[in-house]
Amino acid sequence: MAQAAPVIQPDLELSYEMPEQVTLLSDAWRRLKRNRLALVGAVIIGLLFVTALISIVWTPYPTWLQAVGPTYQPPSAAHPLGLDQAGRDILSRIMGGALITVQVGVGSAIIVSLIGIPLGLLAGFYRGKVDTVISFFINIWYGIPDLLVALILVFVLSDALHLIPRGVLVIVIAFSLTRWMDVARLVRGQALALREREFVEAARMSGARDFALLARHILPNALGPIIVQATFAIPAAVLFEAFLSFLGLGLPSPTPSWGAMAADGYHGMDFAPHIVLAPTIALSLTLMAFNWVGDGLRDAFDPRMRR
Amino acid sequence: MRGTLLYIGQRLVLIAVTTVLVSSIVFLLLHQIPGNAFLNETRQTPQALAAELHRYGLDLPLQNQYVNWVQGVLHGNLGESLVNRQVKITPLLVRETSVSATVGFFALLVTVGLGLILGVLAALRQNTWVDYLASSTAVVGYSIPSFVIAIFGLLVFGHYLYLWTQGTFYYVPGWGKLEQIPVPALALGLPYASYVARLTRASMLETIRTDYVRTAWAKGLKARVVVVRHALRNALIPVVTILGPLITGIITGSVVIENIFGIPGLGKEFVTSILARDYNIVIGVFTFYAALVGLANLTVDVIYPILDPRIRY
Amino acid sequence: MNAVDGVSFEVDRGEIVGIVGESGSGKTMTALSLLRLIPEPGKITSGRILYGEKDVAQMTDEEIREFRGNEIAMIFQDPMTSLNPVLRIGFQVEEAMIAHQRFTNKQAKERVVPMLQRVRIPAAKDRVRDYPHQFSGGMRQRAMIAMGVSNEPSLLIADEPTTALDVTVQASIIELIRDLSRELRAAVILITHNMALVASLCNRVIVMYAGRVVEEGPTRAIFKNPQHPYTWSLLRSMPRVDEKEKERLISIKGLPPDLGKMPPGCKFHPRCKFRVDRCFTEEPPLAEVDPGQQARCWVLMKNIPDPEAQAKT
Repeated sequence: MAQAAPVIQPDLELSYEMPEQVTLLSDAWRRLKRNRLALVGAVIIGLLFVTALISIVWTPYPTWLQAVGPTYQPPSAAHPLGLDQAGRDILSRIMGGALITVQVGVGSAIIVSLIGIPLGLLAGFYRGKVDTVISFFINIWYGIPDLLVALILVFVLSDALHLIPRGVLVIVIAFSLTRWMDVARLVRGQALALREREFVEAARMSGARDFALLARHILPNALGPIIVQATFAIPAAVLFEAFLSFLGLGLPSPTPSWGAMAADGYHGMDFAPHIVLAPTIALSLTLMAFNWVGDGLRDAFDPRMRR
Repeated sequence: MRGTLLYIGQRLVLIAVTTVLVSSIVFLLLHQIPGNAFLNETRQTPQALAAELHRYGLDLPLQNQYVNWVQGVLHGNLGESLVNRQVKITPLLVRETSVSATVGFFALLVTVGLGLILGVLAALRQNTWVDYLASSTAVVGYSIPSFVIAIFGLLVFGHYLYLWTQGTFYYVPGWGKLEQIPVPALALGLPYASYVARLTRASMLETIRTDYVRTAWAKGLKARVVVVRHALRNALIPVVTILGPLITGIITGSVVIENIFGIPGLGKEFVTSILARDYNIVIGVFTFYAALVGLANLTVDVIYPILDPRIRY
Repeated sequence: MNAVDGVSFEVDRGEIVGIVGESGSGKTMTALSLLRLIPEPGKITSGRILYGEKDVAQMTDEEIREFRGNEIAMIFQDPMTSLNPVLRIGFQVEEAMIAHQRFTNKQAKERVVPMLQRVRIPAAKDRVRDYPHQFSGGMRQRAMIAMGVSNEPSLLIADEPTTALDVTVQASIIELIRDLSRELRAAVILITHNMALVASLCNRVIVMYAGRVVEEGPTRAIFKNPQHPYTWSLLRSMPRVDEKEKERLISIKGLPPDLGKMPPGCKFHPRCKFRVDRCFTEEPPLAEVDPGQQARCWVLMKNIPDPEAQAKT
């Protein structure tokens, strides 16, 4: 059968860098790069907090003070970011805006967690009817534009019900009331998975009460992903506030909200672009920083999500 | 096939229920507000006010108003505007929906088209300048809010382009001409495009290393066929799953975009009515939004099993 | 880092050649390189792969594409992941035929069902339109084989074709490969770590260790008179039913070397019971030890009196 001519006649030398080590190395490199972004993000966030803190005690000019110089004045030595259409010092207003941003972001992250964690724990731990009810609300929410509900809530809470004067607090509450589902869904999933784990089973066998189980065993083990989720709530809330204020539905003038400042400058954009540039750049940098840190944290806490 | 139709039927019912439920919440919330559009009017005699309230049924107890409203919604009648008397809301919003849907459709085209192209290019040219450019654009892009992009778009295409071409060629905000579509569609679509690009790149990188793509190479298929039919086809599956939230995001974003660019769509109507306290329209817009999001999600879910035969309803 | 170094062998028409070795010995890499399918960042640094007059290593992209699946086809280890989950089985077979000049689109379409019948897929007519997830592991491997032989290649490379399958279907898959290769007069390279499989199926055996061919020859000769200590140990580590004398099984101590930490001299010396001083410093060449049998060893088993006794100490 066999003929003289061979079908194939290889004479080989293959170079191959060991695959495991290469992926390991490049993975580490990727993480380093990603972490460098996270690091840059952390620095920006640090600056934001410091600026916010300083603005409580000192800004170059009062944020509301008009006509400190000619209106629409471009950046100069006396006013590094220039003056706006009412002659207000933009640097001072950016600093004041940092404080509002921090309040909105951090406040929302806290309240979202305060609502979402207990509900998620209840749904995941007790399952059954409790879960059905909570999951029903979560699923309904996924079918609606949540930010627009929040927008209406801002109106109802402040203008109409006179519960709270329109301000940071009402924005935070409106946002949190429509955004707790993200955290709740995550915590529910974690609780569902963790309640089956051996150490929870062991604690239950040794007679731990439900509350102790939740507080001591389930919650601490779900903390990583919760922190990640809460971190991502910060840029979402900041964006929401900017979005409202830009439309004129958010913080009232002369509050130095970045969104409102962008809206102020937007009409004089052709001849004085600096008014609109300062707040939009500050806002974009802040959102980026929080997203980068969030990505970095997710990498750190959840290796499976790593890309 | 029958299973699919049944599934679509069930979903349509669910969308109707969700829509009514969500707008009911909005209805009840807004009716807590003591004031309404009429209070803005000066020279209002108490008799005239009472007549107006009666005309709109606003003098009835809340539960009666609610029942009337639900009956109206179920018949496709959302009532009349409180500000512009005699204006029927349903046809008005239908007209505006077609405007918003046009912008939204092109924005979605930008998002998916650009996102996919960038993501695939970055994955295929991994660790080259194409990848770095696409990846860094994506990592920056998804954090920039659409209204910021809109402002820059307006500045660049409306103002600098005007100066540069000495007034012969530039973008005028507004609606009605074909050339007024691209700028708002870009502004609305770009942030999400970078998100899609990130996701596509990651999922492409995963699929081009799979065994079945190696099989495709081993069969001697052309590179284009391997990339498109075998790698991309599978890489699309996770991308489709985020289309639902994406569409919700585009709808939310359109509220700002339409106001910046002066586009007479639902989003502009929404803000205008809130400021004018024309609550009938606010509720109506919301009903439309809820239905739109529901239908968009349903479309995505119907497309999904076509892409992934492992999913069946 | 050379994963494979100085691997030189030939496969004749109609012959079944087994490549054996532990995982990480470079046998899969060798097989993939015949089709130039080695994954990044590996590459063929030097050497030739002669196919008739042509050198596979020098082919252009278009030439290699036309070559893959047409002249040489490959069957992979894991049929669960080697088929594209979103394409129909029949289409994946059809596509393999359309990729090359051999058949027109119409012919390819008509040949799909007969191909599936030929690999003994029951009710092939109904199952061409199935997706991979509707097939069992054994059935998927049959479909892979159908794809492989659909262009009547002259060489079929089977990379551990039964490792991922149930023991009950392993034999039938091997039988199928043997029968088809006879019908098509195609040569087969069977990559495996299963010595029993090699004994029952192959004409010739190539033993690989640490990226090198350490022994090569006719199956009968290798099994009767293994000359390399590694081959010898492999055979002694395998229980045999037909063995009359009661031999003790011998295990090979230690692990194969890491690619990054190759020992100097003979790559097997750290685990070798029969090493001499020269083994530590100088790598032996692949030299003829008997007519048609070659081994890469300074010592050779025939020079060792009573190896069993030595190995036990």
